[in-house]
Amino acid sequence: MHEVSIAANLIEIVSEQCRKGGYLRIESINLKLGRASGIMPDALLFAFDAMKTDSPARDAVLMVEEVPVSGRCGGCGGTFTVQEEYVLHCPLCGGGSFQIVGGRELDIVDMEVSE
Amino acid sequence: MKVKVATKILEANDRIAAENRKIFDGAGVFVVNLMSGPGAGKTSLLERTLAAKGGLRVGVVEGDIAGSDDAERIEKYGAPVVQINTGGACHLDANMISDVLGDLPLDELDVLFIENVGNLVCPAEFKVGEDMKVMLLSVAEGHDKPLKYPLMFQESAALILNKIDLLPYTDVDVGKIRKDAQSLNPGLRIFEVSCRTGAGIDEWVAWLGREAEKS
Ligand SMILES: Nc1nc2c(ncn2[C@@H]2O[C@H](COP(=O)(O)OP(=O)(O)O)[C@@H](O)[C@H]2O)c(=O)[nH]1
Ligand SMILES: [Mg+2]
Ligand SMILES: [Zn+2]
Ligand SMILES: [Zn+2]
Repeated sequence: MHEVSIAANLIEIVSEQCRKGGYLRIESINLKLGRASGIMPDALLFAFDAMKTDSPARDAVLMVEEVPVSGRCGGCGGTFTVQEEYVLHCPLCGGGSFQIVGGRELDIVDMEVSE
Repeated sequence: MKVKVATKILEANDRIAAENRKIFDGAGVFVVNLMSGPGAGKTSLLERTLAAKGGLRVGVVEGDIAGSDDAERIEKYGAPVVQINTGGACHLDANMISDVLGDLPLDELDVLFIENVGNLVCPAEFKVGEDMKVMLLSVAEGHDKPLKYPLMFQESAALILNKIDLLPYTDVDVGKIRKDAQSLNPGLRIFEVSCRTGAGIDEWVAWLGREAEKS
């Protein structure tokens, strides 16, 4: 819903890192995006492309790795990954004492720069 | 050349939220981030809570895309209130709260409610410096909402099921809402209330008072 403000934050963070390192341009950016982050990859890519023009990322390609929701079960000790945005019970044993460990990511991993 | 960035996009917001939280803690005020879809009854719940009070000194921050209707409703109860207009943004963020901290008599408050923008999605993603999140769902919105919007149900300490006076006119399955919401978040407290009739309000206000005392 607020992909525009997320794209703006993203461009600000990578532009600052780029300048600090004394690089000229950003060629590509790797992003991890959890399926339960509330951010839609297509909308984010659209916003990024529209907003990158006046930054060192003006020619950058945004590469999004979608991360599924995953959890660890306190009942059976297993770990699991699901396709949904949520977990109602452990898919391995059906129990309810699990912890969500992944799927909320909104992380910049790294970027390719040139001088 | 490859450069490591390893940064959360919302890191700046989280940092400002932590600073807000420090200021709230220093003033001894318990902060509740109140969230729901548009029209579920956030302002009505605040009006009921202010009328019941239970000895608590309560202040309010109203977040709306535009207008000051909600702040005017709260002012009638004599509570300190600040209106934030987000000018289109679909949620409050930590920076918007930081900007109005100076306009509130924090030292004179026990509880500060931050009424977020009406939206079942994004308010849950942005910390503002709160001690806890509380969400409302009105029974008229239907029983499919927990599974359609799981994040807010997962992040909240309590769910206020509002407008139970309308139950005779709907086909909503309250049992399903309870079951799905509690599967998403086993620690979730659920209160069934009507801001129209006042049903269930006392129980909610008593619980709020206990939570505020604990912290
Ligand atoms: N029937 C009924 N209407 C309610 C109840 N609580 C709120 N409303 C009405 O729902 C509408 C939206 O309420 P409001 O508090 O402004 O919702 P907000 O947008 O979440 O702040 C108003 O017309 C209220 O009078 C309730 O418990 N029962
Ligand atoms: Mg309102
Ligand atoms: Zn299990
Ligand atoms: Zn938003």
